[in-house]
Amino acid sequence: MNERTLILVGNPNVGKSVLFSKLTGKFVVISNYPGTTVEITRGEMQLDGEKFTVIDSPGVNELAPRTEDARVTCDVLRDHPDATVIQVADAKNLRRALLVTHQLAQQQRRVVLVLNMMDELDSCGGHIDVRRLSELLGVPVVPTIATANTGIHLVQRSLKDAAVPRWGRARPPGAPNVADGPAVRPYQDDGLTAINEVLSQTYSHVRPRHASFAQQLGWWATHPVKGLALLAVALSVTFWFVGLFGAGTCVDLLETGVFGRYISPWAIRAVDAVLPFPHEHETEVSDLKLEIPLTPAHGIELWSNEREVLSTNYKSEATGWRRLVHDFFVGPYGVITMALSYGFAIVLPIVTTFFLLFGVLEDSGYLPRLAVMVNRIFRAMGLNGKAVLPMVLGLGCDTMATMTTRILETRKERLITTLLLALAVPCSAQLGVLLAMMTRVSAAAAVFWFVLMVGVLFVIGWLASRIYGGATSDFILELPPMRRPLLGNVLVKTLARLEWYLKEVIPLFVLGTVALFLLDRAHLLDKIARLGEPLVRGWLGLPAQTAEAFLVGFLRRDFGAVYLLDAATGANPLLNAHQVLVAMVTITLFMPCVATLFMISRELGRKTAAWIAVFVFGVAFLVGGIVNHTVVWLGF
Amino acid sequence: MSDKPVTMKCPLCGFEFEKANAVCHHGCPMGRFCKLIRCPSCQYEFPEPSRPLTWLAKLIHPPRPRRPDALDLTGLDAGETAEFVGLAGANESRRHTLSLYGLVPGVHVTLQQKRPAYVVRVGETELALEADIAREILVRRTA
Repeated sequence: MNERTLILVGNPNVGKSVLFSKLTGKFVVISNYPGTTVEITRGEMQLDGEKFTVIDSPGVNELAPRTEDARVTCDVLRDHPDATVIQVADAKNLRRALLVTHQLAQQQRRVVLVLNMMDELDSCGGHIDVRRLSELLGVPVVPTIATANTGIHLVQRSLKDAAVPRWGRARPPGAPNVADGPAVRPYQDDGLTAINEVLSQTYSHVRPRHASFAQQLGWWATHPVKGLALLAVALSVTFWFVGLFGAGTCVDLLETGVFGRYISPWAIRAVDAVLPFPHEHETEVSDLKLEIPLTPAHGIELWSNEREVLSTNYKSEATGWRRLVHDFFVGPYGVITMALSYGFAIVLPIVTTFFLLFGVLEDSGYLPRLAVMVNRIFRAMGLNGKAVLPMVLGLGCDTMATMTTRILETRKERLITTLLLALAVPCSAQLGVLLAMMTRVSAAAAVFWFVLMVGVLFVIGWLASRIYGGATSDFILELPPMRRPLLGNVLVKTLARLEWYLKEVIPLFVLGTVALFLLDRAHLLDKIARLGEPLVRGWLGLPAQTAEAFLVGFLRRDFGAVYLLDAATGANPLLNAHQVLVAMVTITLFMPCVATLFMISRELGRKTAAWIAVFVFGVAFLVGGIVNHTVVWLGF
Repeated sequence: MSDKPVTMKCPLCGFEFEKANAVCHHGCPMGRFCKLIRCPSCQYEFPEPSRPLTWLAKLIHPPRPRRPDALDLTGLDAGETAEFVGLAGANESRRHTLSLYGLVPGVHVTLQQKRPAYVVRVGETELALEADIAREILVRRTA
């Protein structure tokens, strides 16, 4: 039944998704950034015993398939010719909404116009004569504040009154023709006169005398000096919250505390009880500290305690299937003791803290302003400021970020951004592990690593833009108003992202661990280590055992990094400081994970994905080797 | 690159458009041998500008200086408000994009800042633009 379909259409960042989730009770990712929705979402709504299918569409400024997301919206409209359209409008930007209404009228769609964000209209001093607007357009007009649940039921009630908007009213005689003069003539009248006419009768505006604090903050964020200061604040908060609190305190608590003291020993005992065979597990000292971190190496200690716990290491001459199963679960390459503990105890807290912070930044409206700040720098890489969103999101999860490169306009920009994400933007899981490794090297080496990564990013970006050629798209970016993030939305969004992430990560970790376990069983691990020796030992100058790390790094680079971290910071570290640096550089430049590779091939095609993979691994080993030889040559 | 849009200007109405957008009668037997271009705005037909022709035209009609009352965004100071007049020498798609953000002739724009990128406020929409684009935005100071 077609007439029971509702399509939400509107300009970007007007709250279609909020309204969608209020109508259907289904969660969708919402943020204060134009272009968050890149795919359509369907949901169901019950109203007076009738079932409606509600479709959320990406924001459009016009109903012409000029950009990728506009194409999605146009297709949805075309596929449901009889559906009622709920046009969501930002009440503050009525003119832009009416442009869309006008086009909906041309398509003869039945429309309900929802004026959302009425609270923001109030605070900026605007006023809309809702009744007059409804009369002029001949459609129901419903004022709402979707985030506060105001007016939602009115939207539902007005659905039956949906009508095709009336346009084409003759301009009253004597009204000034706005399209005058040679420079102005090019504007063909896309209903502009009619829209101006409607606006003049319904919209009035008194600018408040003082700018609000949020507005002030928004201006500071793009100010050449204050903007940099704000950026520095944002960066240090991120570093502390994700790098020190998430990757330090939380990981410590979960890895040493929860997994090391309870889950792993418990699992070991459980498996031993079910499948007994003669062996005795060694014990190791677990040192648990709870502290407020200040720098990667120092902090204020609140509480600490030491205890002996069971280790996965044991000596036994026994063979047979019992030992095999035992090792599969709780051996050194065990699913529980390795995969789950890496996944839940190391990756999870880091990613959680990052997504929380990213959610706050996203909802505040800061990210588009960041795009303004970095636009010039990105220009040199053949990108423009808009690429900052995928890049920053890449610090959370490269796979997710690869998907959001869709908001970029040209294939060139999408390709370069994807390449840089795959190469030099470490995801939060990896970043956390890298930060932990950083405590093993001097501050100078850490700075060197950072500068090198940024350097690689720019050089490769610059080269890629030279080689690929072609123009970068115009930088015209709408800056949404700065808003106070809603805690609930941030939390729900973080949970949704985490769910997505864990579904992607944990299976890969298990897969990687099983692969390692099987290779270890078949005594292939040593062989691979020997095979990789010229590359790993000769070229990178690392111990042959670390070949395993790079092997699993193919699956997920943070998994490889965790492996290296173990080698770097264990009881008797395998790596010295210079080797840690080389390992850090190489693993940072690795392909993020298999999932990212799949995503790249989905977005850009298999051939391109293959080229990117070959290129990324090549550059990783090349740069790693160069660092090794330079450091050796300099005699550090 | 061959797909670079060629912009041309209608000598009659001053409308600037991409060559690909020039309209033609369907089923005209001249086909691609026709060297006439038809303006999509006013339907005026004119020969495709060639170099000697342009040169000749310039000789007869030296290009007029830019209209003095209209200056571009870069000429405004931060904080100033002016009326948007139109776009100079831009291509159709850029004009279109800007008009979708509410930047249509007659509206008032406030220049908020010039560095590191231009930020203008159109109604309640804040738009960040590059200097290249800001240079093409013609405005008129209002008292």
